[in-house]
Amino acid sequence: MNDKGLVLSKEQLDFLSEMMNVGAGNAATAFTQMLGCEVNLKMPAVHVLSAPKVIPILHDPSLPVACVRMGLVGDVTGDMFFVVSEEQKTNLIHLMERAPPLGNAEGKNPQSAIRIPHSTTGFSVLAEIGNILVGVYLTAIHDFCKLNIYHRVPIVAVDMIQSLLDESLVALRRQIERIVVVENELIVEEKRIRTFLLFVPSAESVNTLVDSIGQARIAMCEE
Amino acid sequence: MAYQKNVMCDSPVRDFADSQVLEVAIGEGVVTKAPDIICSKGLGSCVVVTLYDAQRRIGGLAHIMLPHSVSLNGHHTPYHRADTAIAALVKALQGKGARRQDMVAKMAGGARMFSDYQDSSPGIGAENIMSIKNVLKRKGVPLIGEDVGGNYGRSIEFYLDSGKLIVRAIGKEDRVI
Repeated sequence: MNDKGLVLSKEQLDFLSEMMNVGAGNAATAFTQMLGCEVNLKMPAVHVLSAPKVIPILHDPSLPVACVRMGLVGDVTGDMFFVVSEEQKTNLIHLMERAPPLGNAEGKNPQSAIRIPHSTTGFSVLAEIGNILVGVYLTAIHDFCKLNIYHRVPIVAVDMIQSLLDESLVALRRQIERIVVVENELIVEEKRIRTFLLFVPSAESVNTLVDSIGQARIAMCEE
Repeated sequence: MAYQKNVMCDSPVRDFADSQVLEVAIGEGVVTKAPDIICSKGLGSCVVVTLYDAQRRIGGLAHIMLPHSVSLNGHHTPYHRADTAIAALVKALQGKGARRQDMVAKMAGGARMFSDYQDSSPGIGAENIMSIKNVLKRKGVPLIGEDVGGNYGRSIEFYLDSGKLIVRAIGKEDRVI
């Protein structure tokens, strides 16, 4: 067991940021195709922080945020969280309303376009955005680090950020240790939407993750 | 103090000017006396336990994250786990002059925030609640109020002048226990 927990050197953190940047590029392509208008993602800012320091970055702890939780299975286990503030959530959902009918892609009734009549539909839109972002980032990690990580079905909840995270942090025994925060900014026309992705590897997976990042960086430098 | 505007009181003439507001984070505990206020924000599966000696108006609060059956690696305080937290809280209250036979307990929290259909276990929150109830019973401290379970986060304020515990949740009426 690695007592140091999730500790990355500056070079490794840069390398992780680079992977996330590749992921962001793919996410922008995915969103652009899905929405039929140009979506850009600002180069994501990646931080590795202890859990108590993460919360103030995300939002005022007493205000609600929308959060999509996805369990991770495979070479690295743990949880991913996609977090947006309440106002940003509305912006995101409005943005997704512009998407052409999902029914086409899924071979269902083409009339069933994404509309947001009540909060549950909003939830499924959020879950889908979380799904896409986590998918592209995990693919980027796979491509660089050769780690196979899959995410489970997303679950959405809206509440105070601390209360949403504590169960997962406790379950993963990561309360006092560090987690990866990826700050994303989606830019659509003039609108900027700030979202966060939290990557919480379980205590058992930290070594695997840190070692793979280290090895992949060295392999990259040698090429 | 930032919390003053949120302070709820039974009577508008009550003066909180001399009171301190102490915030307790996960895995911490604090003991103080009237007229102070202890608060804790954003409880999910975590549970807050308060102990109060009404005779001497001394009280304490522990922000507990784990049931007693779970072992923790690395750095942790007695307040992380139900059994050690309650023992530490009772001791700290006694240290301030409170008497064990006059102590009463209240608790709040222990929610399940994400309803995962793939997981049928009761969740950490429910385990925390059970564990704390057992420990209190063993210690002979009566539990006189609780607001636990559900699928929503809570913030609490504990008023040492009255022993009242106010539980707030987003989109819900405040509860006084």
